[in-house]
Amino acid sequence: MAAVAATPRRIGFSRRLSRWDVKVSPYLYISPFFISFAVFGVVPVVFNVVVAMHSWHRRLGQGEFVGLDNFRWVLEQPAFWTSLQNTFSIFVLSMVPQLVLALFIAAILDQNLRTKTFWRMSVLVPFAIMPAASALIFSQIFGQFGLVTPLLHDLGLFEDVNSPFFADRLLSHVAIATMVTFRWTGYNALILLAAMQSVPRELYEAATIDGSGRVRQFFSVTLPSIRATMIFVVLTMTIGGLQIFDEPRMYDGTGTGGPNDQWLTTVLYLFDLGFGEWPDRLGQAAAVAWLFALVIVVFTLVNFLLTRRIATSGPARSRVPASVTRRLVAEARAAVAAADAEKAAARASGGPPASDGRDRAPAGTGGTGR
Amino acid sequence: MRFQRRTSAVLALVGTTALLATGCSGGSGGSGDGGGDGGGDGGDGAKPDVLTVAAWMDFPQELLDGFEEEYGIKVEINSFPDGASAQTVLRNGLAADGAGLSDLHLIELDWWTEMMAVPDDWATLPEVPGRWVDWKVTQGSVDGEIKGYGTDIGPLAIAFNSQLLADAGLPSDPEGFAELVGGEDATWETFLEAGREFISRSDAAWVDSMVTPMQAAINLLPAAFENPDTGKPVPLAENEAIAETLEMFATAAEEGVSAGIAIGHADWGAGFQAQQWATVITPAWMTGIIAENAAGIDGWLIADVFPEGGGNWGGSFFSVPATGPNVEWAITLADYLTSPEAAIAMFQLNGQFPSQVEAMDDPAVADSEHEFFGNQKIGAIYGQLAAEAGDAAAGGYRGVNFAGIQTIVMDGIRRVEDGSETPQQAWASAVAAFDALGLTTD
Repeated sequence: MAAVAATPRRIGFSRRLSRWDVKVSPYLYISPFFISFAVFGVVPVVFNVVVAMHSWHRRLGQGEFVGLDNFRWVLEQPAFWTSLQNTFSIFVLSMVPQLVLALFIAAILDQNLRTKTFWRMSVLVPFAIMPAASALIFSQIFGQFGLVTPLLHDLGLFEDVNSPFFADRLLSHVAIATMVTFRWTGYNALILLAAMQSVPRELYEAATIDGSGRVRQFFSVTLPSIRATMIFVVLTMTIGGLQIFDEPRMYDGTGTGGPNDQWLTTVLYLFDLGFGEWPDRLGQAAAVAWLFALVIVVFTLVNFLLTRRIATSGPARSRVPASVTRRLVAEARAAVAAADAEKAAARASGGPPASDGRDRAPAGTGGTGR
Repeated sequence: MRFQRRTSAVLALVGTTALLATGCSGGSGGSGDGGGDGGGDGGDGAKPDVLTVAAWMDFPQELLDGFEEEYGIKVEINSFPDGASAQTVLRNGLAADGAGLSDLHLIELDWWTEMMAVPDDWATLPEVPGRWVDWKVTQGSVDGEIKGYGTDIGPLAIAFNSQLLADAGLPSDPEGFAELVGGEDATWETFLEAGREFISRSDAAWVDSMVTPMQAAINLLPAAFENPDTGKPVPLAENEAIAETLEMFATAAEEGVSAGIAIGHADWGAGFQAQQWATVITPAWMTGIIAENAAGIDGWLIADVFPEGGGNWGGSFFSVPATGPNVEWAITLADYLTSPEAAIAMFQLNGQFPSQVEAMDDPAVADSEHEFFGNQKIGAIYGQLAAEAGDAAAGGYRGVNFAGIQTIVMDGIRRVEDGSETPQQAWASAVAAFDALGLTTD
């Protein structure tokens, strides 16, 4: 009896349950990400504000409240500004060749190659190497007896025995940018390749029929079609490239960015302050983190706008300026109006047939068009 | 069970004296005077099954087995790839009130000061008279309390390439070389003077880099950068001892006495192979590294001489976090792992030079011949240098800002070595970098 009495209730409950299921469970499904993001992402970021406002010792923890003093201190440090310059210099030196090479490699991989998967996997091999390991290898390559330096010596480019890739600021940037390029080019090439493969093949067929070669097809069909992916690649490259740390940290034995801060990047500076030789500068390090986050946001925005601008001015729209189009439309309208007027006048005076006027009008105006 | 009876006996012993096990072999001695129900009065709870040790080198298995045999506690090594990662874990653990720490931690001298920021983080260890050279105990003490038991030390000597010296027409045997750099009265000046003599006769540089000797010279200063009374840094512009030290080494660097490639630099190993320099300042632990990097180059020897009477670079301590659950047992283990016997075993396995007097004199250390260094008895050489070094080798006062300021000054010598600045400019920019920090000075 009890079971019978319970049955309708159970139905009601299961209905309610299924309503909850519809309403609640999607949130449950996505919650693991948001919970872990909150714990490991949001909380530290918010806590970082607290740290940045205090003097903070690694062992003793929170010290006195100092307000914005840490920020002022960081802005007064020449090393901070040097590190920003170095970061941008390395970023530019690595991003430009990276993008060009990645596009080139992706375009080749997009062709009909034998053993496609093999080639595609191969370009990812540098990405599988730990950045620390590749930094060690490259610091050897650019060392005194490495692959590069003796060659440049033989070419007579410099005299000193010691490798200039450590002493000279720009050359050290070049060396580090090479490591970044080595590591990330294959990865970006694969992302660009994925985008290239989704370009409809008919476009290429049509282009071929129109008589355009491979190069022209690349610039006029491929590039405009993968615009969205290009923006993605450039943005991730910007964020990742600005956060560069492993390579400069491992570039020499001391790991502090060179005696003259030649290759001190901002994240390396942050690390030095917070976790390097100063036990009581976590607050200043937190301030660097905030200032640098601001810089990255601004820089990413600028990059986004630039990339979008470059991407939207591609051949997808007419290459003819709007002013020219407007002028042509106006001229055409004027011509039609003139023809109508002529026709009306002819009809009124019983002159020549309308077809003559219609023939003449486009000839006079259409000639200036495309 | 035999083990349990022995256990309670030992625990009782720990509770009463807290000082045991120095070479006490087997449990038979302990079970005699322990007398049964000591289980509770260790003040430290029950005996653990396992004690953990955080370190970054291999341990002789017999050594660990020996402890288990004696006390019935298994020793587990939490092995780190290098000192820096052990440092990070320890730093985080201390900041988290001891969470995630091992029972016993190996601490390198370079970051000893940082870890001792709060001395109460660490258990005070009982004195073991006469085990170590005095200055090692001084290094391992905070405010007169022993906080670390010494393992190895890095007494300083000079390694030299006798082939290059002979080619330059200079004395190439250890005794002759010692005289060349100044003999018993050697100073940094006489060492650099010998270098000037050498580079005038050879294409090679005298020393790999000025960074190492200058670091050694700074280590010997009683108060290099900070006032020991207040703990505050001395304004660098007014720090004449440092100004003179930098000038002395930087001038020599500018003259080409050094090759400008310090240990850690990508070109250091290649420099040995190309015979780019004739001498290297060599702490005992560096002998193995040199043998590796200079493999195939004959003629490297260790000279029984060091400027300013000798010094020390590096070395480690075993310390016990006070928050651990097994403090008393961990102290027992620290004692066991720093016994002269253990030190000899570590020397044979890793080449770490012992800080224990008895171990230094032991034939296993003193008479061991090093194949790379012409079968010299380098154990005896370093043992003598360590004994001669005296209390100055303990190093001077190191406050909160020591490491940071030291980097600023050492960057100065690096800039001279890479040719980007003159000695005067290097000092000026070091002072500028110091002033930019805005430290509260004395």
